[in-house]
Parts: sequence; C-alpha cells; structure tokens
Amino acid sequence: MEIELTRRAETVNELLARYGVKFGIYKNNEFKEQLFPFDTIPRIIKKEEFAYLEKGLKQRVMALNCFIRDIYGDRKIISDKVVPEEFVYISSGYLAPCAGVVPPKGIYTHIAGIDLVQGKDGSWYVLEDNLRVPSGASYPMIAREICRKSSPDTFETYHVEDNRDYAKLLRWTMDYVNTGGHTVILTPGRYNAAYFEHSYFAEKTGAHLATGKELTVEDDYLYFVDYSGRREKVGAVYRRISDEYLDPMTFNEESVIGIPHIYDVYRKGHVALLNAPGNGVADDKGIYYFVPKMIRYYLGEEPILQNAPTYLPYYEEDMRYVLEHFDDLVLKDVAEAGGYGVVFADRMTAQQKEDFIALLKREPRRFIAQEVIDFKDIDIVENARRVPRKADLRAFVLMVDEPLVWKSGLTRFSRDPDSFIVNSSQGGGFKDTWVLSQ
Amino acid sequence: MGIISVENMDRLFWLGRYSERVYTSARLFADSFDRMIDMDMDDYAVFCSRLDIPNIYSSREDFCARYIADEDDPNSIYSNLMRAYDNAIVLRNEIGSEPITYIQLSVYDMKRSKVMRAPLVGLQKVEDNILAFWGIVDDMIESENIRNIIKTGKRIERLDLYGRLQMNRESIVREVHRLAGRIARTNLHYDEQNLKELKKLAEEEQIDYDRIVTLADTLRRD
Amino acid sequence: MKTLRFHYHMELSFSEPVHSHVYTLKCLPVTGAAQRIETCAYQISPAGRVREGRDSFGNRMLYGTVEEEHSLFTVDVNGTAVTDITAPCEEQERADCSVYRYQTSLTRPGERIRALFADCRGRAADLSFRDKMRVYTEAVHESLRYEKGVTDINTAAEDALALGRGVCQDYSHILLSLCREERTPARYVVGMLMGEGESHAWVEVYDGGRWLGFDPTNNVAVEDGHIKISHGRDYRDCSINRGVFTGQARQRQSILVEVTET
Repeated sequence: MEIELTRRAETVNELLARYGVKFGIYKNNEFKEQLFPFDTIPRIIKKEEFAYLEKGLKQRVMALNCFIRDIYGDRKIISDKVVPEEFVYISSGYLAPCAGVVPPKGIYTHIAGIDLVQGKDGSWYVLEDNLRVPSGASYPMIAREICRKSSPDTFETYHVEDNRDYAKLLRWTMDYVNTGGHTVILTPGRYNAAYFEHSYFAEKTGAHLATGKELTVEDDYLYFVDYSGRREKVGAVYRRISDEYLDPMTFNEESVIGIPHIYDVYRKGHVALLNAPGNGVADDKGIYYFVPKMIRYYLGEEPILQNAPTYLPYYEEDMRYVLEHFDDLVLKDVAEAGGYGVVFADRMTAQQKEDFIALLKREPRRFIAQEVIDFKDIDIVENARRVPRKADLRAFVLMVDEPLVWKSGLTRFSRDPDSFIVNSSQGGGFKDTWVLSQ
Repeated sequence: MGIISVENMDRLFWLGRYSERVYTSARLFADSFDRMIDMDMDDYAVFCSRLDIPNIYSSREDFCARYIADEDDPNSIYSNLMRAYDNAIVLRNEIGSEPITYIQLSVYDMKRSKVMRAPLVGLQKVEDNILAFWGIVDDMIESENIRNIIKTGKRIERLDLYGRLQMNRESIVREVHRLAGRIARTNLHYDEQNLKELKKLAEEEQIDYDRIVTLADTLRRD
Repeated sequence: MKTLRFHYHMELSFSEPVHSHVYTLKCLPVTGAAQRIETCAYQISPAGRVREGRDSFGNRMLYGTVEEEHSLFTVDVNGTAVTDITAPCEEQERADCSVYRYQTSLTRPGERIRALFADCRGRAADLSFRDKMRVYTEAVHESLRYEKGVTDINTAAEDALALGRGVCQDYSHILLSLCREERTPARYVVGMLMGEGESHAWVEVYDGGRWLGFDPTNNVAVEDGHIKISHGRDYRDCSINRGVFTGQARQRQSILVEVTET
C-alpha cells in the first residue's frame, strides 16, 4: 500500500528547507551549508522486531560501558586475556589521562549511536559502535514533526511510535548525571558540520548552548559567565567537541575551542561530561571485533546482536583467511571514520591489491577485514521512480540507570546505486525510521 | 533560563540592526527603483550618496542586479540579510526555531528575486518575512530582555538610516523617543549623555543629521 | 643514599603584559620507590588561586588562573630529598606498567631506530637486563651529539636520530623507542641533577620488579644524584608548564635548578 506521505514530498522538502535542516561541509577549505536530502519513504520496523533490536542494543551498550570502566580501572579483561592489551594501548581512542578517573555514576556511554545493517535474509548486523560524539538524532526528530504536518492522514493510518520524545530522553540523561548546576551543550561553533543539531537540541531540551569561551573554571568548578559577569555553576556538559580539543591543559595543547582545566573539574567529580572522555577506546574498529566477547565476559550472556563477520589480520589464522579470500572482503583502516579508509577488495586493480597486501602484512594491527554483507536494499524516490538503495540504521541508546533505546533512529542511504557508503559527508541522504506501536 | 553570554547579547543586538537594515533599505530601494523605471535612470547615484555607500555601479541595470542580491557587494541587501542570518542561526537557544525560519525564508526569497525581471515582487516577500519575524519576536519570545535587546538594535538602525536619509523632523523625533523608551528596558550598557543629546538635537529647529547618526552609532557602550 | 637539598626556579617572561593566564605545572617531586621527599614548599607569583591535584601517572600538579595583567610569572620550589633508597615498588605502580610498553607519536621508530635497535639487541643478546640497558643507553649516547636549539619539544625520536644532534629529551625518546620495540615498559622522566643547571630528562625501565633509571644523555645508570619530578609516556605527559593566556605576547621560559648535598 502506498503511504500518503510519499505523495507530499514537495511539501515536506519545502518545510525542511524552511527550518534550515542542514549540515555543514568543507569543500576546498570553504564552509558550506547543505540541506540534508530527505526521502519520504520511511524505514518501517515492526513492533516485535524492534523489541528484539532493543534488547540487543541494551545488552551491547551495557557491555561497552563495562568495558570502558574496566579499561580505565582494573583492566580485568586484559589480565584475563580476553582482549590483548596491545589493542587497547595502541588505539588512538585510548587516553591515558582517563585512567583511574571515574565519571559521575560510573557512566561513560551516555549517548551511543550504534550503526546496524540488515542483510537480505532479514537478519541485523552491527557495523560500528559510535561512542564519542555520535550525531544525527535531530534529523528524524524534526523530519517527523514536518511529516506529521504535511500528511496527518498517514499518521492516522499507521501507528508509529512518536520519536519527538528524544529531547526528553536526552534531558533525562543529562540530568541523571548532573552534579549540581546548569546543563550546557558545548559546541565548537556554527562552522561545525552538526551545528544545526547542537542548537536544535539546546532549544528542545532547554539546555544552554555555549562555546568554550563562554565557560570558565574557577576553584575546581565550571561556570557559565553571562554578560553582566555573573557566574552560574554548570553541572553537566553534553560536549559536542572531541576529546582531544576538550582541554588544552590535558589534551591537545593547541586547542582553542576547549576549556582550560575542565578536565580537572571532571577529575574531581564536579561536573559530568557526556560522553565521557576516553570512550574512543571502545569504538575503535579493532576493538569492535571483541564486543561479542565483552558481552559474554561482563554480562555472562550470549550476544543478541551479531557483528558483521570480522577478521583481525593481527591473528595469524585470520591473516591467512584474509589473504585467501581477499577479493570477497571489505578492508577498513581502524584509524579512519566517516566512511573514509574503507576499501572493497574486488574493486582494486592488481597493482593496488599488491600494494595493499604489502601494507597489510607490514601493519596488520591497522586493519580489519569484513565479509561484504548482502544488504537488504531500501527504496527511495528518485525522479519520480522508486529505486533500491543501500541504507543503514543508526540506533540511539541513552544511558540513565539503565540503557534506553530511542524508538526510531537515523536511516541513512547512499544516493549512488553502486555505493555502500551512506555518510552525509559523502552525499548520502536520510529517512525517517518508524517503529510501529501495534 | 535567563543567562546570556556577552557574545549572544551582541548577536541579538546585531540581529535587530541587520534585519531592520534589510527591511528599510528594501523599501527605500523600491522608491528609487520606481523612479528609475521611466523618470530618472540615474537615481541610484542619489540613493548611494544618501545612504552613504560607495557608488560602484556602472548603470541602472548593474545597480539593480548588484545592490539587491550580489553576495560579493558588502553593501547589498543580500549581504546585510546574510549578516542577519549569521546572527540568527546561532541564537536558536535564545529566540527559538520559529523566528529563525522567517530569516531563512527571506534568504530563499532574496535568492529568487535575483533572477526576476521584476525584483520588487521578490523583495516584497523579503519584507513580508521580516515583518513576520518582528511579529513572532513579539509573540513568541518569552524573555522581555531578549525582545528588548533585538528591538533596541532595530531602533538604533532605523534612526541611523533616517538620519542618513535626512528624513523629516517628525520621523526623527518619533524614532529618538522609541529608541529611548526601548533601550531603558534592556540590560545593555549605553551612554546616557549621548541619549540626552539625541533628545535635545531632535527638538532643534535645524536638525544636525550627521551628529544624530554619530550619536546613534555610539550609543551602546559594551 | 644521599640527602639532597634542591631549589627549582622557573620563570616565564612575556614581551607584553598578558592576562587570564591559565597554567598547569608539574614541578613537585614525589616520594616513590627510589626517593623520599622530606620537605617541599613552593611559591608561585603571581599565583591567582592555586589548586593541587594528581594526574593519571601519579604526578603532582599545581594549577590555576592568574586574571590580572603580568609580564613575569615565576615558580620556586625548595625542599630536601633522600635519593637511591630501595623501597619496594608499589602494587599499583606494577599494575600500571603496561601503558609504558607501547610507542607514542614521539617515540615511534622509523628505519634508523629499527637499525639501531637491531644492532644493540645483537650486542646485548646474552647480557643481564641491567647490562643490556647499559648497552642501549650507551648506544643512544653515542648516536647523538649534545646540541641545544636544533630540536624542539615536538621533535620525534626518529627525526632526532636522523639529525644526529639533540638534547636530553631527544636522547630519552630514542632510548624509550628502543625499549618499547621489545615491549619493555619504559617511561620518560623529568627531574633534577646534582649541581647547577636546567631541568633534566632520563628514562626508567621496568625489570619485572623495580623501575631502574638510565640517563642516556650522560651515559650513566641513575643512582643518587638524580631527583625525579614526574614521569609519563613521553615528554608531553611531563611538561613542567602548560599554559594559555590572553595577550599578544611572546613568552620566554627559563629554568634554573640547584641541587646540593647536605
């Protein structure tokens, strides 16, 4: 049955433009804002299917949170030889200054963005765990608002879980760890790719949007300074800047967007930082391989969601497999993100292959290899025709006393029919994700 | 939540100034454009000199094309609109998404008017959106302080423009009083001496327009 | 075992007055397995409001903000230390040694360090841990000529070795690189030497039970003439002074250390 909404694409797009639903992008060193292409055909997830995903996502994020706490604490998973220490200490996401520092309520992964894909047979695979500053929830949130305006009938017909409660969940997450004081969303500024989202969340959660220079540290507390010089204590910072720029006194000394000594305030337990610094150690592509093992190790449970079949050339056995099945695999550089550093072996020339294999043998720790999953395509409308495209799903899991899974998600699709890369920075678009309530 | 940083206070003020500059200069342009259709094809030279912007235009057509929508001309209505936009976009937290949409819509309308043979039709839409913006500022922004800061920007800009255009005394008197009433209700720092002098100047027989412009521009002390 | 009196003086002079000067100092020696700090007092001027803390490596930190304008910032530390004691290494310190097994961006080897490593390893094959470390220390010492001003705080070990010249920081980074090539936990140490001069850097390696100090700049094993201030994975974890300030000024840092036996 055709969804009425899909006939309202023009209205929807007009409203998306009106609300400035954009992301920033740098081209030839110049900042440009682009509308984020939206496709009206939603991804629909049935109630029972989502219940399964929800269980699996909760389990996964619980285990990841345990892992980070362990790595910066007792490191039992290393001494018990489940994860080789090398993978931890060489990871660029491992931050030595985080060792021994316990965040408020022991929560590290306040907002996790777990990227999933669905295979042709319908089974779901986790592709990536984004635990640093995952972005994107604002887009389906505002798109839903606009779709409901544009086609009320659609939402009368279908029973879709309302996803506009994300702001409430986010506020709850921030308040849960707040150590006493205002709540701030810290943005690098308007020339950041996700600035729209930062400002939108601030508006919708009632948190205060600030750049680093509006915050200051005094006597181990963090303050927001208003125009009259009045200081207001800050108890939680949802920071949308990466670890290395957070505090020039502890991390990258050159950072001008951070707040000097904010890390010392955090170390003393006087402010909550969401997400916790140092989380990158768990969303490292090399560590990804070990997530199912973590679930068994920390929770004593069998993983509900599976990883895409992954090989670590670091292990000799896996290296052998990778070399034998090279053409069938996708190779990922563990240090890269955003769809960069991903190569499909079957698309390389003979020379490229030879060079790559040499590199792989020289630096086996740097790569992971994965089976290419036969994605279940999703239809989009292009030039008034429905055409199939690759798409993934970023599910958002927020942590309070237990993990909460947002009943929606960001579905990103590749506009290029031959591409598997769905990232907005590489021209992808997005869809709303409907979780049916009946 | 009632706390505003120095930067955002400044942005609110300039959002008021630039949106007013767009609105009033669009209206002034409309008058001049009308004369240029069949009365005085070189009226743009007068327009430039009155607004105190450099006349860098080679013809009526060149002026109409560039003054409205040339993004590389710093004095164009488009450039001023983009300044309003740049301030608005970072104030979502202070003013909310809805008011911003009207500035955003003005930008789209301005881009469309660039390619139109009848630019006033497009500019009319820009004006409509700015008026809607002012309306929603009044209607939706709860914080009185925020509303007053934006409006102080608006009032200062208008007095500045009216001064440059040497508008009649009634207009100047009215604008001075509106400004004086508004600025007193904000937390902005301003020069009371300047304000007194403005009020006095507006009452005088021979109005010193240059001085009024200078005083308006230096009234704020932040 | 020696009892040493130390005086550490650092000053930052600014070409123009600066304000809102935020600083973090790691300049206070700590009691550890090899030294005991008997007394230690500090003075910072202008200090603003000073806070104390410890970083994740166990180093003591002093940090604060000076709001007012100033053109000179000085730090003085006075105290006494008993060196070359052999207290057992604490449990925690033993557990923390893994992080020091791996290269950092400043110690990551290139061809030259790999070649130097292959050469030393061959020569030290049958030696005890301590003697092997002496071979490594000497090899590093021989491979550089001491010269100031040719390298800076961002010079990586491989680049310093290629240049063939450098200062204590470069010697130490190269030695760290060699140790870590064979996964021996090795850490960068900042400290003070007997006599008068600047602050110094050397290396500590973990022999499975204790951290032993080796000073490749002077080609000696660390005994009782060295007072340790801080340690970390490389220079960056131990920088004595980090700061940001407001003002268009160039800063010049000078350090004077005096260590005498009592």
